[in-house]
Amino acid sequence: MLSLRYKADTSIPVEVEGLTPSAVRALSVAEIQRFEVFHGNRKVPLAEFFDVSGDPSDARLEFEGNLAGVHWIGAHMTEGEIHVRGAAGRHVGSEMTGGTIHVHGNASDWVGGEMHGGLIHVHGSAGHLVGSAYRGSATGMTAGTILVDGSVGNEVGLTLRRGLLAIGDGCGDFVGANMIAGTVLVFGTCGIRPGASMRRGTVGLLGANPPKLLVSFRKSCVCQPTFLRLMFKRLQSLGFTVPSDCYDANYGLYHGDHVTVGRGEILIRES
Amino acid sequence: MSSGLFKIAGGTVYDPIHGVDGEQRDIWIRDGRIVAPPSEPDVRQDKTFDATGLVVMPGGIDMHCHIAGPKVNSARKMRPEQKRKAEKVIRTPNTRSGTMGSVPSTFATGYKYAGLGYTTAFDAAIPPLAARHVHEEFEDTPCIDKGFFVLMGNNHFVMQSIQRNEPERLRSFIAWLLGAAKGFTPKVVNPGGVEIWKQQPSGNVHGLDENVAHFGVTPRQIIEGVARAVDALRLPHSVHIHANNLGMPGNWRTTLETMKTLGDSRGHLAHIQFHSYGGGEGDENTFNSKAVELVEYVNTHSNLTVDVGQVLFGETTTMTADGPLGYYLSNAFKSKWFSSDTEMESGCGIAPIEYKNTSLVHSLQWAIGLEWYLLAKDPWRVVMSTDHPNGGSFLAYPQIIQLLMDRTYRQEMLKLVHPAVLERSTLADLTREYTLSEICIITRSGPARILGLPNKGHLGPGADADITVYTPNDDKTKMFELPRMVIKNGVVIVEQGEIRQPVTGKLLYVSPEYDSSIEKDIAEWFEKYYSIRFRNYPVPLDYLHDHEEVRG
Repeated sequence: MLSLRYKADTSIPVEVEGLTPSAVRALSVAEIQRFEVFHGNRKVPLAEFFDVSGDPSDARLEFEGNLAGVHWIGAHMTEGEIHVRGAAGRHVGSEMTGGTIHVHGNASDWVGGEMHGGLIHVHGSAGHLVGSAYRGSATGMTAGTILVDGSVGNEVGLTLRRGLLAIGDGCGDFVGANMIAGTVLVFGTCGIRPGASMRRGTVGLLGANPPKLLVSFRKSCVCQPTFLRLMFKRLQSLGFTVPSDCYDANYGLYHGDHVTVGRGEILIRES
Repeated sequence: MSSGLFKIAGGTVYDPIHGVDGEQRDIWIRDGRIVAPPSEPDVRQDKTFDATGLVVMPGGIDMHCHIAGPKVNSARKMRPEQKRKAEKVIRTPNTRSGTMGSVPSTFATGYKYAGLGYTTAFDAAIPPLAARHVHEEFEDTPCIDKGFFVLMGNNHFVMQSIQRNEPERLRSFIAWLLGAAKGFTPKVVNPGGVEIWKQQPSGNVHGLDENVAHFGVTPRQIIEGVARAVDALRLPHSVHIHANNLGMPGNWRTTLETMKTLGDSRGHLAHIQFHSYGGGEGDENTFNSKAVELVEYVNTHSNLTVDVGQVLFGETTTMTADGPLGYYLSNAFKSKWFSSDTEMESGCGIAPIEYKNTSLVHSLQWAIGLEWYLLAKDPWRVVMSTDHPNGGSFLAYPQIIQLLMDRTYRQEMLKLVHPAVLERSTLADLTREYTLSEICIITRSGPARILGLPNKGHLGPGADADITVYTPNDDKTKMFELPRMVIKNGVVIVEQGEIRQPVTGKLLYVSPEYDSSIEKDIAEWFEKYYSIRFRNYPVPLDYLHDHEEVRG
């Protein structure tokens, strides 16, 4: 295990893009200390911000400290495990294709931006645009799982193509907007316009006080979908808490968004 | 004592304007220009570059590309997803950072042109209302000399003058507008069609004799009127034409009519590949090449010149003043779409697209471009272009050179495209291979002559010292994508792909004379209809970076 203890105090963003388990796996601690990261627009060695110790050969990185100003942790990661003991900045696990990231604290915006595989579990809350497409992209996240125990901000799952997002508490506006496929489950409250312009895929609003849906969604039926129960079990096996009353609840099924393809579905808990 | 002389010694020189075809020569440079060899034997050069065994040509000239102005900037903003993944242009002590993708940022555009040995480029479609913006961007596009063509084919004042049958008024307005914008020549884009598009949903014109509503003129009258005015003003370049019906099956008839309409007037038909299609209206299955028929007409009419607008496979971003075309492409490719209505002057459409070698249409477009190069008898009147970035990036020029110089490579590439190309075009039967001298003509000397630039495209005394030195290689892509040295105005700006001294380059513009009594007329028009005041419209000389007036 490689330990990276954050020791800096700077208001300028620190970007650790490329510091993945596979990139450092074969390096010595001294080499890792010289790994170049960005401090604003300046390139500096990693050791200027982190105390580096341990052995990276097992592809496990442990970040420690308040890393709210440290961005791109685990971006482009392909294998291994990253733990962040404390807050994390933006773009955690961006475009990652494999491996696992645990943030034992809050994460900022863009968690798992355009992710292509692997698992991210934020044990606190996360910011906006979790599992979203970057600006301009025709497709967003294509595979993988993102779990956030707490709440999240706006535009979560934007242009999602495949994969699973589970939000333990509330989410902001436009969850699942422009979705192409995939699944977003929200266990808390939800902001306005869920699923706006979604083509296919599923948004589950499983918490209290669901918002009014857009007029371009039509109610189809009330049901108890089997796949939800399977998904809940899978989530629990990953260490995500699913309220027990979710299993046998009734769900209203709505189809939309009819301004576009209209083959998406929103499930709203009714009991 | 310093002589100020720089000598490129012993290179294999290609200078078709002076009939020099691969002869070993010395080139002498002083004060940014090429000079005659010193007559006194004891004069010594300050600096020598030993070019023995290397190929020396004038700097390349791209006479039709889109590198500045509002449409290019909108396209940059529209493609963050492409820029994010593209090659990064990282800051160095000599150069600024930038972004690539199909629409590179300003500084990157300059560096990349220079990196290919190009030292001059003309943006082909600028609404004069945005001229100031263009001059600002040009100042930030280093290493190359720049100029632009001014959109006039759907300008309300132009159409009104034609409708009133007042050629003097039209001529004066064109002269005033070129001078006000500091542009180079009038451009007409889908004449009349863009105006109809602005008037009604899905509007366009489909032939040269359709009426342009409200103005009561036809596309034919617009082309004739502007072409005659350009000749009467003795502008260095002719009218620059993007004909009607671009990209539509069967459009070759419109193109041929456009050529005939020009009569004896000079005319440059831009990205001719996109206008050389046979087949039924809107029917993809009948799509075929009519390059042979059109080349035949151009071969026998010396008043006509063309640039090709070669298509290359891959992703790009189309941008055009042809508003209805932008809409058509965005629907065809189900892509993002940007549309703009530029007041009294023009329109604009932008849409990302991808040319695929598995597509019959795209494969034919690729083949028709090559047919144009290979069938044209007179290389002085056919110019290499990709209509950057519409057919592909200017960065593909080395690959096009290889396609033209190496028929084995061409045949190999032909195997990778849609098989129907073999029946629907003549490309498979063409065995011609371009010589280095001919490449020099279609990339430098020809465009210099067509644009009327007396100091470009050759290596005689008095020419701007814009010179590219290549290392010979049988692989022509390799040879042309990495010049040994690029010299701009006597300054070494690139060595083996690395930018040394990114000079700013200058603006090339015209300032034709006109009867100033027209200004009252134009001022009234502006105060009545324009969003900006008449006195704020013209770009003053002190607004420009380095500049040079070109006279016809």
